[in-house]
Amino acid sequence: MGASLPPKEANLFKLIVKSYETKQYKKGLKAADAILKKFPDHGETLSMKGLTLNCMDRKTEAYELVRLGVKNDIKSHVCWHVLGLLYRSDREYREAIKCYRNALRIDPDNLEILRDLSLLQAQMRDLSGFVETRQQLLTLKPNHRMNWIGFAVSQHLNANASKAVEILEAFEGTLEDDYPPENELIEHTEMILYKVSLLEESGSFDKALKELYKKEPKIVDKLSFKEQEVSLLAKLGQLEEAKKLYRVLLSMNPDNYRYYEGLQKCLELYSESGQYSSDQIEKLNALYQSLSEQYTRSSAVKRIPLDFLRDESFKEALAKYIKPLLTKGVPSLFSDLSSLYDHPGKPDILEQLVVEMEHSIRTTGSYPGSDVKEPPSTLLWTLFFLAQHYDKRGQYDVALGKIDEAIAHTPTVIDLYSVKSRIMKHAGDLTAAAALADEARCMDLADRYINSECVKRMLQADQVTLAEKTAVLFTKEGDQLNNLHDMQCMWYDLASGDSYFRQGDLGRALKKFLAVEKHYSDISEDQFDFHSYCLRKMTLRSYVDMLKFQDRLHSFPYFHKAAIRAIRCYLKLHDSPKSTAEEDEMSKLAPAQKKKIKKQKKAEARAKKEAESKSEESTASGVSKSGKRNVKPVDPDPHGQKLIQVEEPMTEASKYLRLLQKHSPNSLETHLLSFEVNMRKQKFLLAFQAVKQLLKLDAENPDSHRSLVKFFLQTESMSSPTTEAEKLRWSVLEAERPSISQLQNKSLMEANKEFLGRHEDSLVHRAAYAEMLYVLDPSKKTEAVKIIEDSTNKAAQTNGAVGPATEWKLKDCIAVHKLLDTVLADSEAASRWKSRCAEYFPCSTHLEGKLSSVMPDSVYNSTRKSNENGDAPNHPMGQTELSDGQVEAFKSLSVSA
Amino acid sequence: MVCIRRATVDDLLAMQACNLMCLPENYQMKYYLYHILSWPQLLYVAEDYNGRIVGYVLAKMEEESNECHGHITSLAVLRTHRKLGLATKLMTAAQAAMEQVYEAEYVSLHVRRSNRAAFNLYTETLGYKINDVEAKYYADGEDAYDMRKNLKGKQNHSHGHGHHHHQHGGGCCSGDAKAVETSHAQASSK
Repeated sequence: MGASLPPKEANLFKLIVKSYETKQYKKGLKAADAILKKFPDHGETLSMKGLTLNCMDRKTEAYELVRLGVKNDIKSHVCWHVLGLLYRSDREYREAIKCYRNALRIDPDNLEILRDLSLLQAQMRDLSGFVETRQQLLTLKPNHRMNWIGFAVSQHLNANASKAVEILEAFEGTLEDDYPPENELIEHTEMILYKVSLLEESGSFDKALKELYKKEPKIVDKLSFKEQEVSLLAKLGQLEEAKKLYRVLLSMNPDNYRYYEGLQKCLELYSESGQYSSDQIEKLNALYQSLSEQYTRSSAVKRIPLDFLRDESFKEALAKYIKPLLTKGVPSLFSDLSSLYDHPGKPDILEQLVVEMEHSIRTTGSYPGSDVKEPPSTLLWTLFFLAQHYDKRGQYDVALGKIDEAIAHTPTVIDLYSVKSRIMKHAGDLTAAAALADEARCMDLADRYINSECVKRMLQADQVTLAEKTAVLFTKEGDQLNNLHDMQCMWYDLASGDSYFRQGDLGRALKKFLAVEKHYSDISEDQFDFHSYCLRKMTLRSYVDMLKFQDRLHSFPYFHKAAIRAIRCYLKLHDSPKSTAEEDEMSKLAPAQKKKIKKQKKAEARAKKEAESKSEESTASGVSKSGKRNVKPVDPDPHGQKLIQVEEPMTEASKYLRLLQKHSPNSLETHLLSFEVNMRKQKFLLAFQAVKQLLKLDAENPDSHRSLVKFFLQTESMSSPTTEAEKLRWSVLEAERPSISQLQNKSLMEANKEFLGRHEDSLVHRAAYAEMLYVLDPSKKTEAVKIIEDSTNKAAQTNGAVGPATEWKLKDCIAVHKLLDTVLADSEAASRWKSRCAEYFPCSTHLEGKLSSVMPDSVYNSTRKSNENGDAPNHPMGQTELSDGQVEAFKSLSVSA
Repeated sequence: MVCIRRATVDDLLAMQACNLMCLPENYQMKYYLYHILSWPQLLYVAEDYNGRIVGYVLAKMEEESNECHGHITSLAVLRTHRKLGLATKLMTAAQAAMEQVYEAEYVSLHVRRSNRAAFNLYTETLGYKINDVEAKYYADGEDAYDMRKNLKGKQNHSHGHGHHHHQHGGGCCSGDAKAVETSHAQASSK
């Protein structure tokens, strides 16, 4: 490096490199300038100067200098390496890989560059390249442990586990018998366990078990040892040994459900679906009886049987399980049992049992058939349980009665208010729900959990400003919102984005949804440092798990939700042409603000030209004199105004759609959105693919049906094809249509009718039928409205003694109201519908139910006013009427076809 | 009713969400990754019957001092899941792993002076003692108690394998752990 320079300058060059490594950038810069004074064209110095400037956030200059460096000295591996480092720092890994490859062409055995290249290959999952580089590193430096391990891991990642084992064995061959030294026991343990897991993965269970036993004395992580052993024993069919070992594991931790599952599997008493024969149930019952005698303190042994027991024995076990927990006052009891509501018959038994208990405690002070007096709190927790039970069953009035009684009984228990808040939310009064959550919050200001819950409720009630002020209470220096962002608080991003979306503020909404996407790309970026770290640390099993986790990162729920919502925003942007959207917004602003925004826009346009390099803009303000990045960059677009200026919303939407299609292919929503986006892009064959996917996943879903009808209505009504492409498309659809069973020899009208025939009793299906009837033939509007109004709300199938539960769900009633109001545009019918449903859901604010907070005499109405007088969300878009169910807001965005 | 088990990488997002719901001290995902990729044995979760993560303990080994010791980085249980003894179970599990795998001499933690509930758990149920008071430890200016609990330490290891009398105090964490940690230290908003 710097070889072509005279001794004095060559020393200066070394100083630049050293200064860079020790982060003394100013010093490095000085040295570089000193060389360039004499040799202004010296490529490697130009490169190093650029690299130094890059660390001082002077990106544009950095790239200019480094590129010039390469140009001036294209044969220097240093120049190429530096350009690669620059790209790497900007996460442009593909470009970086190219540069490293150029550098290696000049200096093929450069260890540093090879190592850097291998990290990028791991990051980019260029697995064959990774294997190659790792092999080269091992060949060059076989005396480094890390190079053996790195080569083995690369083979494993490249789907060659048995090769990886061979490499590890070869490495072990180089070790002395007394290996490892005392301070490497854990690393060695990890390596052995990794090797065993590789053998297991490649199906050599027997060899794996032998290896495990052989190395047992050297394994310090005894729990991992046993868990690995039991897994292998089970796979080898050595069930007796496996059973014994599971019991050992249970004696160590009787709260690990996976051990119970494993034990059941060994006894051939395990079914994925939870369905068992009576013979099996008997055996299971006996098993858990004996286990419960052994592990008296474990609640798992008492809870698990509630899943497989039935009828009387279920009831008996349930009573035994519930009583001590009610007496103790365990708040999570209901959520613990909530999965039983999916088992036929069990919710009724639950209700019967707990109602009996309630009655008995009220009248005798004891549980049925007992003379032990219960403390007064038992009634409280019984009411608490019942309130959640009736909430779950949709009997909100009964639920409210129970929780109110509980609050009257003991007004100081915070959990009661949280549950009441949740009931109000389900009943359709989000304002009241927020007020109650705030009441709970005020009872313990030091508890962040109830603060978070309150913030969530406030956002659901579209009280964004208030929510922000409340969230801020849990931060120092009042920068909580930024802090929530820095800490990757995704539920907050989603909930506030939803609220902005409902309020029509697409800029802020998009900003929040894309923030979640940003968190995911940051998390994906996070893995970079661990490619080398884990090879040293030897935590190879966790490392490989981490890589797999990263590969399916985008299938995790937060991303899924955020992507769906972002696409909905883009659809809305597409549907409302930009100019009007802008004017809309402008018209709501004061003149002074308008001027400001216009000015701002001009400035932005100018800035856009200047800022050729993408990151400069956002980081420039974050550079301090010392060149360190310690000031937080200012967000140039805090309200997402630039985001909604996007030229082609559907192109943006497609980016996220592709991720959904890759990572959430089994979600109906993915294909619904694909349908919506591709119809707008006039990509009819892709839209058709989406329709086919929808039919495959759930043909009877109302939205699948809507998409099917709309698709063929749109494509069949198009004028006859003229271009080659159109003709091709037409012929494909022509050929495919008969394969859709719903449409075989049927008109769309007939297919729609048959759909209704299959689902005559379901409100949502009737609504879909009515909507399609109207779309197919607008003259049939009256008939469509009648179909909806003729729907009947039957009592749900329960034998509960208290209050009728009906089948209709609040969100569906609201969706139908919107359908009548907007698509069918029959305001009278909509209003009739609203009054009718308000009877079923008197707490719903959307339906203006008589018990809801929109009524002038509601207690929550006054709460709301007093809240908002002080902190009214001063929002340019103003508040909208919509507070019920966020899903509806999204649903109203159906295809314009 | 709640499963206590070692955490996996797949649990980390839920652990982070749980932390953000409950505690004022939060961390970026990289800090969670750093823990599980350094001391995979020291992270435990409490998973409710519906598969939701309702509590966790995030712990690490400290290599600075001569004595090898564990440290509880963060412990949280959702408010809705109190009264089940989850915090105790999580702590006990992490402490046992520190002792068995790393032969930790003791385990340390910080707790807010005002957090009586946590303080009681640590002193009365789990046997921690105040070692020191760290003034203004928390970002909002509150003091922390620096608490410690002695573990049995080295006896456990050679159990059953008499021919292996290895003690690896001090070497429990290789030196390069520090490098990654300092670069992530800012991740915490503590």
